[in-house]
Amino acid sequence: MKTSYKRRMLLMGGIFAFCLIFMAGRLGYLMIGQADKYLALAKDLHQREREIKAPRGNIYDRNGVKIASNKAVYSISVIHSQTKQKNKVVSVLSKELKIDEAEIKKKVYKNSVREKIKSNVEKDAADRIRKYELAGVKVDEDYKRTYPYNDLASKVLGFTGGDNQGIVGLEVTYDSYLQGKPGRILTLTDGGGREIDGAYEERDEPVAGNDLYTTLDVNLQNYVWQACEKVRKEKGAKRVSMIIMNPQNGEIYAMVNTPEYNLNEPFKLKGKKENTTGKKRQELLNQMWRNTCINDTYEPGSVFKIVTATAGLELGKVKVTDHFSCPGFRIVEDRKIRCHKTTGHGAETFKEGVMNSCNPVFMEVGARVGVDGMYTIFRQMGLFEKTGIDIPGEANSIMHNKKNVGAVELATMSFGQSFQITPLQLMRAASAAVNGGTLVTPHFGMKAVDSSGKTVKTFEFAKKKHVIKKETSETMRELLEAVVSDGSGRNCKIEGYSIGGKTATSEKLPRGTGKYISSFLGFSKAEHPTVMALVMIDEPKGTYYGGAIAAPVVREVFKVALPYLGISKDYTVDKTKK
Amino acid sequence: MKESRVSEKYMPKRRYLDYPMLFIVMFLVGFGLIMIFSTSSYKSTLNFGNPYHWLIRQCFAVGVGAVFMAALTWFDYRILNAKVIAYGCYGLSVALLIIVLFIGAAKKGAVRWISIGGFQFQPSEVAKIFLVIYLAYILSQNAHRMRTMAAAVKVIIRCLPIIGLVAYQNLSTAIVLTAMVGVMIFVVSPKTKELLGIALSGVAGLVLYLTFSNSYRNERVAIWKNPETHPKGLQTMQALYAIGSGGLFGKGLGQSMQKMGFIPESHNDMIFSIICEELGLFGAVCLILLFMLLIWRMLLIAMNSDDLFGSLIVVGFMIHIGVQVFINIAVVTNTIPPTGIPLPFISYGGTSILVVMAEMGLVLSVSRKIRM
Repeated sequence: MKTSYKRRMLLMGGIFAFCLIFMAGRLGYLMIGQADKYLALAKDLHQREREIKAPRGNIYDRNGVKIASNKAVYSISVIHSQTKQKNKVVSVLSKELKIDEAEIKKKVYKNSVREKIKSNVEKDAADRIRKYELAGVKVDEDYKRTYPYNDLASKVLGFTGGDNQGIVGLEVTYDSYLQGKPGRILTLTDGGGREIDGAYEERDEPVAGNDLYTTLDVNLQNYVWQACEKVRKEKGAKRVSMIIMNPQNGEIYAMVNTPEYNLNEPFKLKGKKENTTGKKRQELLNQMWRNTCINDTYEPGSVFKIVTATAGLELGKVKVTDHFSCPGFRIVEDRKIRCHKTTGHGAETFKEGVMNSCNPVFMEVGARVGVDGMYTIFRQMGLFEKTGIDIPGEANSIMHNKKNVGAVELATMSFGQSFQITPLQLMRAASAAVNGGTLVTPHFGMKAVDSSGKTVKTFEFAKKKHVIKKETSETMRELLEAVVSDGSGRNCKIEGYSIGGKTATSEKLPRGTGKYISSFLGFSKAEHPTVMALVMIDEPKGTYYGGAIAAPVVREVFKVALPYLGISKDYTVDKTKK
Repeated sequence: MKESRVSEKYMPKRRYLDYPMLFIVMFLVGFGLIMIFSTSSYKSTLNFGNPYHWLIRQCFAVGVGAVFMAALTWFDYRILNAKVIAYGCYGLSVALLIIVLFIGAAKKGAVRWISIGGFQFQPSEVAKIFLVIYLAYILSQNAHRMRTMAAAVKVIIRCLPIIGLVAYQNLSTAIVLTAMVGVMIFVVSPKTKELLGIALSGVAGLVLYLTFSNSYRNERVAIWKNPETHPKGLQTMQALYAIGSGGLFGKGLGQSMQKMGFIPESHNDMIFSIICEELGLFGAVCLILLFMLLIWRMLLIAMNSDDLFGSLIVVGFMIHIGVQVFINIAVVTNTIPPTGIPLPFISYGGTSILVVMAEMGLVLSVSRKIRM
């Protein structure tokens, strides 16, 4: 063998050695220098995340009665690569879930990693499916929101959607507290997405949502609801709404809007309407979910005289003893605006004017106060702002632009016409008028409590003190008590209790259609009001005077509610009040 | 050559066999089977219900290969040093490579297989042995006439039909063949500089070809440059994930995640990435060292061979193993554009392991004739 051959062979061997050492170096770079990068990427690739749902927090009333909770339901899905007897799977699932075979077949034969067949499956159906032990059929636990009282306070509570998120009502406002933190299971899967048996699993436990305690009182809410339903049926009214609130702090005990709807079936329309579809159906649903007390505005009518009277007293433009004369109308500019008593109330003091709900008296007071004075008081009593209630979708008032308010507008405004506010705005203003001058924020939320019972958050709501003078408020209480004891609101009188209030009958727009809203606002005790009720009967048939049909509803509720809320009688029948 | 046979008869018989090489080969084959089982068992269970599908087939090929290897070890390779055999090998190679074009079975788009009695084999793999035998004959016969460049070019031209036919089907195998031919001529020809010049311009030509040729090969360059963003870079990235997640000592034998359907054909061309993942940098470097040892043993045998014919045969096979190991590892580490070359001894593939074991048999046969 020639040495030159050997030398060249050796050279080739050397080149190989060099190449392979270079490769070893490259490997070292990849496996040590870039190990972290590729490890992270590989882990990302191998791990599949499965969510474990967190139970949503319960909602309780002020006494700890559960009004919204969760129920265990199941979701059924198939894992394509693991299903073996596909035909059997189709027939079993079709039978147990009562879904058309063709529909299930499409999903079972679809070449996807995981296909959901049905969610919100009841426990017994899920258990039956489990018993078949079909390969590739997964039964996963899930939660479904349930409302044990069905229709109760439906327009306040609201409901949740498929992803456990609030859609309307308190469920939306307190969603961040109610919603828990979902947990997750990290499993290793192979290239086809199959979970690897016995592989190391990482697990983050879900954190349950916080429970919400509300100011609602289930017993009161229920009683008020019955009362509203009763009057709605008797009067053939379209809607009856009622709010019971503590005027001292804004806590709402009950808020009823009949007809209510079943929170467990929020997408089901009643009667014939169930057959509508598409846009029309969505409109009807939105209509059904509406909370009239908050989402809609109306002309408050005579109840608003509370505000006008407050303005007159606060600005010193009228005294209780001032004398007025009512001929049954008042000429304002070129218009003759009538009193509800067309023959006129004759000579009367301001107090009597309030008791009679006499329009000319209030037109006079309104004129004395003037536009600036009225708007100043409106603003102070919160009529230009939303109440700030903890329910979404609140409407705001619709007022005249101040520079467009002439004498006629001022006159009509002074007895509650030609502008619109929400019932709750009225309630808030009336509260300020009788509670000593504090503008409260009406609300439902009290506190959020975590699953261990610890209070996570106590909800605070703004209070604006001294929007009117204490003395004005005191006078207002006396005047309104007189309305109930001897005036137009005497249908709300309950022996032994001191009650204040104001009636209203507002004709709906457009005028002349014979559609009215009868309302009554009442509170007790007259000296120190801790409960205030506002009822509105929308489009009653027959008698429509607030004093005649709305005041008795409040009386009926107060008869039960006042002793229930621990409000003592102020006098016995034999004695005069103290 | 006759003299040596005569002298051997009268010399004291000192049997030599390169046992270190034999052991390295046995270890590599055994290790290959273990890795094939490790990489294929998961997918085999999924597809065939038992983990042994690919292992059994590979064991069968290894069994046949072992018979070939043993037979060729005891066989006197000098019988091959004949004109009839050399031209026969040449003719047979060309014939098989043409036949495959007409009756070949397609796999993954390229026609590479001939099926005989239910067994499929790749003519391009077999052509490697035949070409080495042919070239070793031609070069050893004409060694004294190889002084000029013209002579070297003449030999290269003779090999072109085979390389061309292979290149038509499989560029990477053609590159391996070219390397083998080139190095064998390089060893014999004194025109070192010129040949190196040709080799370098060949590499340059290849790079240009890859860069500017048709989209299929051009695409590979694009994948190589940006495996993370290229839509077809998935396989390269999967291999890198496997290698990168191996670390220093790996996840342990059988613990690979990437073999579970992430790397397609993980028991095939990409097997080295799983070795990295399971045995770590340590295992991978050990394997590379083992290949280097094998090449070193073959180099020793080639340098000490009794005759030029035997020596050239060993050099040809050494290049075959060396180039394939380098290209395979370079591909899985994304050092060069992706191409399908099996890792000798380790990758799944019947023809490949059979041919490599037959080659090792011939190398051992050459080692047996080394005079101490």
